[in-house]
Amino acid sequence: MAQVARPKTISVISVIAIILILLAFPMLFMPSVKHMGDFVPMVLGIIITLQFVSVIGVWHMKRWGVTLFIIMFTVRVVTFMYLDMLNFRFYFNIFYSLIFIIIFLRYMKRMDTNL
Amino acid sequence: MILALLKESVLFAWGALVANKLRTFLSLLGITIGIFAIITVFTIVDSLERNIRGSVQSLGDNVVYVMKWPWTFGPDYPWWKYMNRPVPAYKELGELQRRLKGADAMGFRIGARKTLKHLNNTVENGIVSGWSFGYGQVKTFDIAEGRYFREDEAEGGYNVVILGNTIAEGLFPNNEYPIGKTIKVAGRSCKVIGVFRKEGESMLGNSMDNQVVVPYNFARLFMDVKSENSDPFIAVKAREGVSNAQLKDELTGVMRSVRGLKPLADDNFALNETNLLSKNFDSLFDIVGIAGAIIGGFSILVGGFGIANIMFVSVRERTNLIGIQKSLGAKNYFILTQFLFEAVFLSLMGGIIGLLLIYLLTFLARGAIDMEITLTRSNIILGLTISVLIGIISGFIPAYGASQLDPVEAIRTN
Repeated sequence: MAQVARPKTISVISVIAIILILLAFPMLFMPSVKHMGDFVPMVLGIIITLQFVSVIGVWHMKRWGVTLFIIMFTVRVVTFMYLDMLNFRFYFNIFYSLIFIIIFLRYMKRMDTNL
Repeated sequence: MILALLKESVLFAWGALVANKLRTFLSLLGITIGIFAIITVFTIVDSLERNIRGSVQSLGDNVVYVMKWPWTFGPDYPWWKYMNRPVPAYKELGELQRRLKGADAMGFRIGARKTLKHLNNTVENGIVSGWSFGYGQVKTFDIAEGRYFREDEAEGGYNVVILGNTIAEGLFPNNEYPIGKTIKVAGRSCKVIGVFRKEGESMLGNSMDNQVVVPYNFARLFMDVKSENSDPFIAVKAREGVSNAQLKDELTGVMRSVRGLKPLADDNFALNETNLLSKNFDSLFDIVGIAGAIIGGFSILVGGFGIANIMFVSVRERTNLIGIQKSLGAKNYFILTQFLFEAVFLSLMGGIIGLLLIYLLTFLARGAIDMEITLTRSNIILGLTISVLIGIISGFIPAYGASQLDPVEAIRTN
Protein backbone atom coordinates (compact mmCIF):
# COMPACT_ATOMS: atom_id res chain seq x y z
CA MET A 1 0.00 0.00 0.00
CA ALA A 2 1.72 3.15 -1.16
CA GLN A 3 1.09 6.12 1.13
CA VAL A 4 -0.38 9.18 -0.62
CA ALA A 5 1.79 12.25 0.03
CA ARG A 6 -0.02 14.72 2.29
CA PRO A 7 -0.08 18.36 1.09
CA LYS A 8 1.04 20.99 3.62
CA THR A 9 -2.39 22.66 3.50
CA ILE A 10 -4.06 19.44 4.67
CA SER A 11 -1.47 19.02 7.44
CA VAL A 12 -2.02 22.55 8.74
CA ILE A 13 -5.81 22.34 8.52
CA SER A 14 -5.89 18.91 10.17
CA VAL A 15 -3.84 20.18 13.12
CA ILE A 16 -6.09 23.23 13.48
CA ALA A 17 -9.20 21.03 13.21
CA ILE A 18 -7.92 18.63 15.88
CA ILE A 19 -7.18 21.50 18.26
CA LEU A 20 -10.64 23.03 17.69
CA ILE A 21 -12.35 19.66 18.15
CA LEU A 22 -10.45 18.92 21.37
CA LEU A 23 -11.27 22.40 22.67
CA ALA A 24 -14.94 21.59 22.10
CA PHE A 25 -14.66 18.50 24.34
CA PRO A 26 -15.07 20.38 27.68
CA MET A 27 -18.46 21.54 26.33
CA LEU A 28 -19.77 18.11 27.41
CA PHE A 29 -19.24 19.02 31.06
CA MET A 30 -20.91 22.42 30.90
CA PRO A 31 -23.89 22.72 33.28
CA SER A 32 -26.05 24.15 30.47
CA VAL A 33 -25.50 20.98 28.39
CA LYS A 34 -26.04 18.69 31.39
CA HIS A 35 -29.37 20.36 32.13
CA MET A 36 -30.63 19.56 28.61
CA GLY A 37 -30.95 15.87 29.46
CA ASP A 38 -29.10 12.78 30.63
CA PHE A 39 -28.15 11.66 27.13
CA VAL A 40 -27.32 15.03 25.52
CA PRO A 41 -23.63 15.01 26.65
CA MET A 42 -23.37 11.47 25.24
CA VAL A 43 -24.75 12.51 21.83
CA LEU A 44 -22.51 15.58 21.64
CA GLY A 45 -19.54 13.50 22.79
CA ILE A 46 -20.11 10.93 20.04
CA ILE A 47 -20.30 13.73 17.44
CA ILE A 48 -17.05 15.30 18.69
CA THR A 49 -15.28 11.91 18.79
CA LEU A 50 -16.35 10.99 15.27
CA GLN A 51 -15.24 14.43 14.02
CA PHE A 52 -11.86 13.72 15.60
CA VAL A 53 -11.73 10.31 13.88
CA SER A 54 -12.64 11.92 10.54
CA VAL A 55 -9.77 14.42 10.81
CA ILE A 56 -7.34 11.55 11.53
CA GLY A 57 -8.63 9.98 8.32
CA VAL A 58 -7.99 13.23 6.42
CA TRP A 59 -4.49 13.41 7.96
CA HIS A 60 -3.82 9.95 6.50
CA MET A 61 -5.22 11.19 3.13
CA LYS A 62 -8.23 8.85 3.20
CA ARG A 63 -11.44 9.65 1.38
CA TRP A 64 -13.54 8.17 4.17
CA GLY A 65 -12.09 10.92 6.39
CA VAL A 66 -13.56 13.67 4.20
CA THR A 67 -16.88 11.82 3.84
CA LEU A 68 -17.12 11.27 7.60
CA PHE A 69 -16.16 14.91 8.26
CA ILE A 70 -19.00 16.14 6.02
CA ILE A 71 -21.50 13.71 7.58
CA MET A 72 -20.52 14.71 11.12
CA PHE A 73 -20.64 18.40 10.21
CA THR A 74 -24.23 17.92 8.98
CA VAL A 75 -25.17 15.85 12.05
CA ARG A 76 -23.63 18.47 14.35
CA VAL A 77 -25.51 21.35 12.69
CA VAL A 78 -28.83 19.47 12.81
CA THR A 79 -28.28 18.39 16.44
CA PHE A 80 -27.31 21.87 17.61
CA MET A 81 -30.33 23.34 15.83
CA TYR A 82 -32.58 20.69 17.39
CA LEU A 83 -31.14 21.46 20.85
CA ASP A 84 -31.48 25.19 20.18
CA MET A 85 -27.77 25.79 20.84
CA LEU A 86 -27.55 28.59 18.30
CA ASN A 87 -24.81 30.68 19.87
CA PHE A 88 -21.63 32.33 18.55
CA ARG A 89 -19.75 29.03 18.89
CA PHE A 90 -22.29 27.32 16.60
CA TYR A 91 -21.92 29.90 13.81
CA PHE A 92 -18.13 29.97 14.22
CA ASN A 93 -18.13 26.18 13.89
CA ILE A 94 -20.15 26.35 10.66
CA PHE A 95 -17.81 29.02 9.31
CA TYR A 96 -14.53 27.15 9.80
CA SER A 97 -16.00 23.72 9.02
CA LEU A 98 -17.25 24.94 5.61
CA ILE A 99 -13.80 26.34 4.81
CA PHE A 100 -12.22 23.01 5.82
CA ILE A 101 -14.74 21.04 3.72
CA ILE A 102 -14.03 23.16 0.63
CA ILE A 103 -10.27 22.61 1.02
CA PHE A 104 -10.69 18.88 1.75
CA LEU A 105 -12.88 18.48 -1.37
CA ARG A 106 -10.21 20.18 -3.50
CA TYR A 107 -7.74 17.44 -2.51
CA MET A 108 -10.25 14.58 -2.43
CA LYS A 109 -9.30 13.16 -5.84
CA ARG A 110 -5.73 12.68 -4.61
CA MET A 111 -6.88 10.75 -1.56
CA ASP A 112 -6.81 7.00 -0.99
CA THR A 113 -10.12 5.12 -1.29
CA ASN A 114 -9.06 2.27 1.05
CA LEU A 115 -9.72 2.06 4.78
CA MET B 1 -18.37 -13.27 10.77
CA ILE B 2 -17.86 -9.66 11.82
CA LEU B 3 -19.04 -10.47 15.34
CA ALA B 4 -16.57 -13.37 15.51
CA LEU B 5 -13.77 -11.06 14.39
CA LEU B 6 -14.80 -8.45 16.92
CA LYS B 7 -14.89 -11.08 19.66
CA GLU B 8 -11.42 -12.21 18.66
CA SER B 9 -10.05 -8.67 18.69
CA VAL B 10 -11.60 -8.10 22.13
CA LEU B 11 -9.93 -11.27 23.41
CA PHE B 12 -6.60 -10.14 21.93
CA ALA B 13 -6.97 -6.77 23.65
CA TRP B 14 -7.92 -8.40 26.96
CA GLY B 15 -4.92 -10.72 26.72
CA ALA B 16 -2.57 -7.77 26.17
CA LEU B 17 -4.00 -5.91 29.18
CA VAL B 18 -3.75 -8.94 31.48
CA ALA B 19 -0.17 -9.64 30.34
CA ASN B 20 0.98 -6.18 31.53
CA LYS B 21 -0.93 -5.74 34.77
CA LEU B 22 1.20 -2.98 36.30
CA ARG B 23 1.24 -0.96 33.09
CA THR B 24 -2.51 -1.42 32.72
CA PHE B 25 -3.06 -0.29 36.31
CA LEU B 26 -0.84 2.80 35.97
CA SER B 27 -2.38 3.90 32.69
CA LEU B 28 -5.97 3.53 33.89
CA LEU B 29 -5.09 5.44 37.07
CA GLY B 30 -5.04 8.72 35.11
CA ILE B 31 -8.60 8.20 33.87
CA THR B 32 -9.70 7.02 37.33
CA ILE B 33 -8.45 10.25 38.90
CA GLY B 34 -9.96 12.34 36.08
CA ILE B 35 -13.40 10.74 36.30
CA PHE B 36 -13.24 10.79 40.10
CA ALA B 37 -12.44 14.54 40.10
CA ILE B 38 -15.06 15.62 37.59
CA ILE B 39 -17.93 13.40 38.70
CA THR B 40 -17.26 14.12 42.40
CA VAL B 41 -17.62 17.85 41.70
CA PHE B 42 -20.83 17.24 39.70
CA THR B 43 -22.22 14.93 42.38
CA ILE B 44 -21.60 17.45 45.15
CA VAL B 45 -22.95 20.36 43.08
CA ASP B 46 -26.06 18.36 42.09
CA SER B 47 -26.69 17.33 45.70
CA LEU B 48 -26.29 20.89 47.01
CA GLU B 49 -28.51 22.17 44.21
CA ARG B 50 -31.18 19.56 45.02
CA ASN B 51 -31.02 20.43 48.71
CA ILE B 52 -31.32 24.18 48.11
CA ARG B 53 -34.10 23.76 45.54
CA GLY B 54 -35.97 21.57 48.04
CA SER B 55 -35.51 24.24 50.72
CA VAL B 56 -36.65 27.00 48.36
CA GLN B 57 -39.64 24.93 47.24
CA SER B 58 -40.66 24.38 50.86
CA LEU B 59 -40.94 28.18 51.09
CA GLY B 60 -43.41 28.04 48.18
CA ASP B 61 -43.08 28.88 44.47
CA ASN B 62 -46.20 31.05 44.45
CA VAL B 63 -45.59 32.83 47.74
CA VAL B 64 -44.62 36.49 48.18
CA TYR B 65 -43.00 37.55 51.45
CA VAL B 66 -43.64 41.03 52.86
CA MET B 67 -40.46 41.92 54.75
CA LYS B 68 -38.30 44.81 55.85
CA TRP B 69 -35.21 43.82 53.83
CA PRO B 70 -35.04 42.61 50.22
CA TRP B 71 -33.37 39.23 49.55
CA THR B 72 -31.31 40.50 46.63
CA PHE B 73 -28.87 43.36 46.67
CA GLY B 74 -28.02 45.56 43.68
CA PRO B 75 -24.84 47.62 43.27
CA ASP B 76 -26.59 50.82 44.44
CA TYR B 77 -28.12 49.20 47.47
CA PRO B 78 -29.43 52.06 49.71
CA TRP B 79 -29.16 50.16 53.00
CA TRP B 80 -29.41 53.38 55.03
CA LYS B 81 -32.96 53.87 53.71
CA TYR B 82 -33.96 50.30 54.49
CA MET B 83 -32.62 50.66 58.04
CA ASN B 84 -35.43 53.09 58.89
CA ARG B 85 -38.22 50.92 57.52
CA PRO B 86 -40.73 49.50 60.00
CA VAL B 87 -40.96 45.73 60.41
CA PRO B 88 -44.20 44.07 59.21
CA ALA B 89 -46.85 44.03 61.93
CA TYR B 90 -49.55 41.45 62.77
CA LYS B 91 -52.31 44.05 62.39
CA GLU B 92 -51.18 44.57 58.75
CA LEU B 93 -51.98 40.90 58.15
CA GLY B 94 -55.62 41.62 59.05
CA GLU B 95 -55.73 44.52 56.57
CA LEU B 96 -54.20 42.39 53.83
CA GLN B 97 -56.71 39.58 54.52
CA ARG B 98 -59.53 42.09 54.19
CA ARG B 99 -58.33 43.83 51.01
CA LEU B 100 -56.29 41.40 48.88
CA LYS B 101 -58.24 39.71 46.09
CA GLY B 102 -55.46 37.64 44.51
CA ALA B 103 -54.41 35.81 47.67
CA ASP B 104 -55.33 32.23 48.48
CA ALA B 105 -53.85 32.17 51.99
CA MET B 106 -51.58 34.30 54.12
CA GLY B 107 -49.89 34.16 57.47
CA PHE B 108 -47.62 35.95 59.90
CA ARG B 109 -44.44 34.52 61.37
CA ILE B 110 -41.93 35.61 64.01
CA GLY B 111 -39.06 33.66 65.50
CA ALA B 112 -36.36 33.74 68.16
CA ARG B 113 -33.89 31.39 69.81
CA LYS B 114 -35.06 30.19 73.23
CA THR B 115 -34.30 27.44 75.72
CA LEU B 116 -36.54 24.37 75.57
CA LYS B 117 -36.87 21.98 78.49
CA HIS B 118 -38.52 18.70 79.32
CA LEU B 119 -37.69 17.29 82.75
CA ASN B 120 -33.89 16.97 82.77
CA ASN B 121 -33.50 17.32 79.00
CA THR B 122 -32.66 20.77 77.68
CA VAL B 123 -32.19 22.17 74.19
CA GLU B 124 -30.39 25.52 74.29
CA ASN B 125 -30.98 28.09 71.52
CA GLY B 126 -33.77 26.13 69.85
CA ILE B 127 -35.58 28.11 67.14
CA VAL B 128 -39.07 29.01 68.37
CA SER B 129 -41.40 30.16 65.57
CA GLY B 130 -44.68 31.89 66.22
CA TRP B 131 -47.13 31.22 63.40
CA SER B 132 -50.52 32.71 62.77
CA PHE B 133 -53.05 30.00 61.81
CA GLY B 134 -52.88 30.94 58.09
CA TYR B 135 -49.11 30.46 57.87
CA GLY B 136 -49.69 26.72 58.06
CA GLN B 137 -51.60 26.98 54.76
CA VAL B 138 -48.74 28.88 53.09
CA LYS B 139 -45.73 26.86 54.25
CA THR B 140 -45.14 23.31 53.07
CA PHE B 141 -44.54 20.81 55.91
CA ASP B 142 -45.40 17.30 57.01
CA ILE B 143 -46.48 16.24 60.46
CA ALA B 144 -45.25 12.78 61.49
CA GLU B 145 -47.13 12.50 64.79
CA GLY B 146 -50.10 14.45 66.18
CA ARG B 147 -51.65 17.44 64.42
CA TYR B 148 -51.41 21.14 63.48
CA PHE B 149 -53.09 23.88 65.58
CA ARG B 150 -56.82 24.37 65.44
CA GLU B 151 -57.91 27.90 64.48
CA ASP B 152 -59.25 28.60 67.99
CA GLU B 153 -55.93 27.49 69.53
CA ALA B 154 -54.04 29.87 67.22
CA GLU B 155 -56.39 32.81 67.75
CA GLY B 156 -56.69 32.26 71.49
CA GLY B 157 -52.92 31.99 71.95
CA TYR B 158 -53.13 28.52 73.52
CA ASN B 159 -49.88 27.16 74.94
CA VAL B 160 -49.54 24.32 72.43
CA VAL B 161 -46.40 23.40 70.51
CA ILE B 162 -45.35 21.35 67.47
CA LEU B 163 -41.80 20.01 67.70
CA GLY B 164 -39.19 19.65 65.00
CA ASN B 165 -37.82 16.13 64.70
CA THR B 166 -34.32 16.85 66.06
CA ILE B 167 -35.73 18.90 68.94
CA ALA B 168 -38.17 16.07 69.75
CA GLU B 169 -35.27 13.59 69.82
CA GLY B 170 -33.36 15.94 72.13
CA LEU B 171 -36.22 16.51 74.57
CA PHE B 172 -37.66 13.00 74.44
CA PRO B 173 -34.74 10.57 74.12
CA ASN B 174 -35.17 6.76 74.11
CA ASN B 175 -38.15 6.96 71.71
CA GLU B 176 -40.40 8.45 74.36
CA TYR B 177 -43.81 9.42 72.88
CA PRO B 178 -44.00 13.25 73.09
CA ILE B 179 -47.65 13.93 72.19
CA GLY B 180 -49.64 15.17 75.18
CA LYS B 181 -46.51 15.83 77.27
CA THR B 182 -45.69 19.29 78.62
CA ILE B 183 -42.43 21.07 77.85
CA LYS B 184 -41.07 24.50 78.82
CA VAL B 185 -40.62 27.00 75.99
CA ALA B 186 -38.76 30.10 77.23
CA GLY B 187 -39.86 29.15 80.74
CA ARG B 188 -43.56 28.77 79.84
CA SER B 189 -45.36 25.45 79.90
CA CYS B 190 -46.58 24.16 76.54
CA LYS B 191 -48.45 21.02 75.58
CA VAL B 192 -46.93 19.06 72.69
CA ILE B 193 -49.61 18.43 70.04
CA GLY B 194 -47.44 17.37 67.10
CA VAL B 195 -44.02 16.45 65.71
CA PHE B 196 -42.85 17.44 62.22
CA ARG B 197 -41.55 14.77 59.84
CA LYS B 198 -37.73 14.69 59.60
CA GLU B 199 -36.53 16.90 56.75
CA GLY B 200 -32.72 16.64 57.05
CA GLU B 201 -30.19 19.44 56.86
CA SER B 202 -31.16 22.46 54.78
CA MET B 203 -28.57 24.69 53.11
CA LEU B 204 -30.84 27.71 53.71
CA GLY B 205 -31.13 26.87 57.39
CA ASN B 206 -34.92 26.64 57.21
CA SER B 207 -35.27 22.95 58.07
CA MET B 208 -38.18 22.28 60.43
CA ASP B 209 -36.03 19.71 62.29
CA ASN B 210 -34.48 22.34 64.56
CA GLN B 211 -37.61 24.41 65.16
CA VAL B 212 -40.61 24.35 67.43
CA VAL B 213 -43.79 26.11 66.36
CA VAL B 214 -46.23 27.82 68.70
CA PRO B 215 -49.26 30.00 67.88
CA TYR B 216 -48.30 33.64 67.18
CA ASN B 217 -50.62 34.92 69.91
CA PHE B 218 -48.75 32.75 72.41
CA ALA B 219 -45.28 33.62 71.04
CA ARG B 220 -45.86 37.37 71.39
CA LEU B 221 -46.03 36.89 75.18
CA PHE B 222 -42.30 36.17 75.29
CA MET B 223 -41.01 37.66 72.01
CA ASP B 224 -40.60 41.31 71.03
CA VAL B 225 -42.85 41.46 67.96
CA LYS B 226 -41.64 44.96 67.02
CA SER B 227 -37.98 43.97 67.09
CA GLU B 228 -36.09 43.17 63.92
CA ASN B 229 -34.41 40.36 65.87
CA SER B 230 -37.72 38.47 65.82
CA ASP B 231 -37.56 38.59 61.99
CA PRO B 232 -41.31 39.19 61.53
CA PHE B 233 -42.80 38.75 58.06
CA ILE B 234 -46.09 38.19 56.26
CA ALA B 235 -46.27 35.38 53.69
CA VAL B 236 -48.94 35.62 50.98
CA LYS B 237 -49.81 32.69 48.72
CA ALA B 238 -51.24 33.54 45.30
CA ARG B 239 -54.65 32.30 44.28
CA GLU B 240 -54.69 29.77 41.40
CA GLY B 241 -54.38 31.60 38.07
CA VAL B 242 -52.78 34.66 39.72
CA SER B 243 -49.11 35.11 38.87
CA ASN B 244 -46.53 36.28 41.39
CA ALA B 245 -46.11 39.51 39.39
CA GLN B 246 -49.87 40.23 39.61
CA LEU B 247 -49.88 39.42 43.31
CA LYS B 248 -46.88 41.70 43.90
CA ASP B 249 -48.59 44.56 42.06
CA GLU B 250 -51.70 44.18 44.18
CA LEU B 251 -49.68 43.76 47.38
CA THR B 252 -47.68 46.91 46.62
CA GLY B 253 -50.87 48.95 46.28
CA VAL B 254 -52.51 47.55 49.41
CA MET B 255 -49.36 47.77 51.55
CA ARG B 256 -48.77 51.39 50.49
CA SER B 257 -52.37 52.16 51.43
CA VAL B 258 -52.10 50.30 54.76
CA ARG B 259 -48.93 52.21 55.65
CA GLY B 260 -50.35 55.53 54.40
CA LEU B 261 -47.51 56.26 51.98
CA LYS B 262 -47.80 59.39 49.82
CA PRO B 263 -47.86 58.89 46.02
CA LEU B 264 -44.25 60.01 45.51
CA ALA B 265 -42.86 58.27 48.61
CA ASP B 266 -40.71 55.14 48.20
CA ASP B 267 -42.05 51.80 49.36
CA ASN B 268 -41.00 51.12 52.96
CA PHE B 269 -41.32 47.33 52.63
CA ALA B 270 -39.76 44.62 50.47
CA LEU B 271 -41.67 42.00 48.50
CA ASN B 272 -39.52 38.90 48.19
CA GLU B 273 -40.20 35.72 46.26
CA THR B 274 -38.37 32.41 46.13
CA ASN B 275 -37.42 32.63 42.46
CA LEU B 276 -35.09 35.52 43.43
CA LEU B 277 -33.18 33.04 45.59
CA SER B 278 -33.29 30.35 42.87
CA LYS B 279 -31.82 32.73 40.27
CA ASN B 280 -28.94 33.64 42.59
CA PHE B 281 -28.20 29.99 43.27
CA ASP B 282 -28.46 29.07 39.57
CA SER B 283 -25.60 31.40 38.66
CA LEU B 284 -23.56 30.22 41.67
CA PHE B 285 -23.98 26.55 40.72
CA ASP B 286 -23.16 27.30 37.09
CA ILE B 287 -19.87 28.89 38.15
CA VAL B 288 -19.00 25.96 40.44
CA GLY B 289 -20.00 23.52 37.67
CA ILE B 290 -17.82 25.27 35.07
CA ALA B 291 -14.87 25.40 37.50
CA GLY B 292 -15.34 21.68 38.18
CA ALA B 293 -15.56 20.97 34.43
CA ILE B 294 -12.28 22.79 33.77
CA ILE B 295 -10.42 21.05 36.64
CA GLY B 296 -11.85 17.65 35.76
CA GLY B 297 -11.38 18.27 32.01
CA PHE B 298 -7.65 18.79 32.51
CA SER B 299 -7.40 15.68 34.71
CA ILE B 300 -9.11 13.62 32.04
CA LEU B 301 -6.90 15.14 29.34
CA VAL B 302 -3.82 14.03 31.27
CA GLY B 303 -5.37 10.57 31.67
CA GLY B 304 -6.05 10.47 27.91
CA PHE B 305 -2.42 11.35 27.13
CA GLY B 306 -1.36 8.52 29.43
CA ILE B 307 -3.51 6.02 27.54
CA ALA B 308 -2.35 7.33 24.13
CA ASN B 309 1.26 6.98 25.28
CA ILE B 310 0.77 3.42 26.52
CA MET B 311 -1.02 2.51 23.27
CA PHE B 312 1.90 3.81 21.17
CA VAL B 313 4.25 1.67 23.28
CA SER B 314 1.88 -1.29 22.91
CA VAL B 315 1.79 -0.95 19.10
CA ARG B 316 5.59 -0.58 18.96
CA GLU B 317 6.04 -3.71 21.11
CA ARG B 318 3.68 -5.77 19.00
CA THR B 319 4.64 -4.52 15.53
CA ASN B 320 6.10 -7.93 14.75
CA LEU B 321 2.91 -9.65 15.81
CA ILE B 322 0.82 -7.21 13.76
CA GLY B 323 2.95 -8.09 10.71
CA ILE B 324 2.35 -11.81 11.28
CA GLN B 325 -1.40 -11.28 11.78
CA LYS B 326 -1.65 -9.23 8.60
CA SER B 327 0.41 -11.69 6.58
CA LEU B 328 -1.96 -14.45 7.76
CA GLY B 329 -4.89 -12.47 6.39
CA ALA B 330 -5.94 -10.15 9.22
CA LYS B 331 -7.81 -7.14 7.82
CA ASN B 332 -6.96 -3.55 8.67
CA TYR B 333 -10.18 -3.12 10.65
CA PHE B 334 -9.34 -6.22 12.72
CA ILE B 335 -6.02 -4.66 13.82
CA LEU B 336 -7.76 -1.31 14.31
CA THR B 337 -10.52 -2.72 16.52
CA GLN B 338 -8.04 -4.83 18.46
CA PHE B 339 -6.03 -1.79 19.60
CA LEU B 340 -9.06 0.45 19.87
CA PHE B 341 -10.78 -2.03 22.19
CA GLU B 342 -7.65 -2.15 24.29
CA ALA B 343 -7.70 1.65 24.72
CA VAL B 344 -11.45 1.74 25.39
CA PHE B 345 -11.17 -1.13 27.89
CA LEU B 346 -8.41 0.68 29.76
CA SER B 347 -10.33 3.92 29.82
CA LEU B 348 -13.65 2.30 30.73
CA MET B 349 -12.11 0.33 33.58
CA GLY B 350 -10.52 3.55 34.86
CA GLY B 351 -13.90 5.28 34.66
CA ILE B 352 -15.74 2.46 36.42
CA ILE B 353 -13.17 2.41 39.25
CA GLY B 354 -13.53 6.22 39.53
CA LEU B 355 -17.33 5.90 39.74
CA LEU B 356 -17.08 3.12 42.35
CA LEU B 357 -14.81 5.33 44.46
CA ILE B 358 -17.38 8.14 44.26
CA TYR B 359 -20.18 5.73 45.23
CA LEU B 360 -18.10 4.68 48.24
CA LEU B 361 -17.50 8.32 49.11
CA THR B 362 -21.22 9.18 48.95
CA PHE B 363 -21.92 6.16 51.14
CA LEU B 364 -19.42 7.38 53.75
CA ALA B 365 -20.64 10.98 53.45
CA ARG B 366 -24.20 9.89 54.20
CA GLY B 367 -23.10 8.71 57.63
CA ALA B 368 -20.98 11.79 58.31
CA ILE B 369 -23.30 14.64 57.29
CA ASP B 370 -27.04 15.04 57.55
CA MET B 371 -27.50 15.73 53.84
CA GLU B 372 -28.29 13.36 51.02
CA ILE B 373 -25.38 13.12 48.57
CA THR B 374 -26.31 10.84 45.69
CA LEU B 375 -24.42 9.65 42.63
CA THR B 376 -27.18 10.28 40.09
CA ARG B 377 -27.97 8.32 36.92
CA SER B 378 -27.03 11.31 34.74
CA ASN B 379 -23.58 11.52 36.38
CA ILE B 380 -23.02 7.77 35.96
CA ILE B 381 -23.95 8.05 32.26
CA LEU B 382 -21.67 11.10 31.89
CA GLY B 383 -18.77 9.31 33.60
CA LEU B 384 -19.08 6.18 31.45
CA THR B 385 -19.55 8.23 28.26
CA ILE B 386 -16.45 10.33 28.94
CA SER B 387 -14.42 7.18 29.69
CA VAL B 388 -15.39 5.48 26.43
CA LEU B 389 -14.92 8.61 24.32
CA ILE B 390 -11.51 9.41 25.86
CA GLY B 391 -10.55 5.80 25.16
CA ILE B 392 -11.51 6.19 21.49
CA ILE B 393 -9.84 9.60 21.11
CA SER B 394 -6.59 8.59 22.79
CA GLY B 395 -6.48 5.13 21.22
CA PHE B 396 -7.53 5.89 17.66
CA ILE B 397 -4.24 7.39 16.38
CA PRO B 398 -2.00 4.52 17.57
CA ALA B 399 -4.63 1.93 16.56
CA TYR B 400 -5.08 3.40 13.08
CA GLY B 401 -1.28 3.66 12.69
CA ALA B 402 -1.03 -0.03 13.59
CA SER B 403 -3.73 -0.98 11.07
CA GLN B 404 -1.87 0.83 8.29
CA LEU B 405 1.44 -0.98 8.84
CA ASP B 406 2.94 -2.80 5.90
CA PRO B 407 3.06 -6.53 6.88
CA VAL B 408 6.50 -7.14 5.39
CA GLU B 409 8.08 -4.16 7.15
CA ALA B 410 6.20 -4.95 10.35
CA ILE B 411 7.52 -8.54 10.47
CA ARG B 412 11.07 -7.30 9.92
CA THR B 413 10.85 -4.92 12.89
CA ASN B 414 12.79 -6.01 15.98
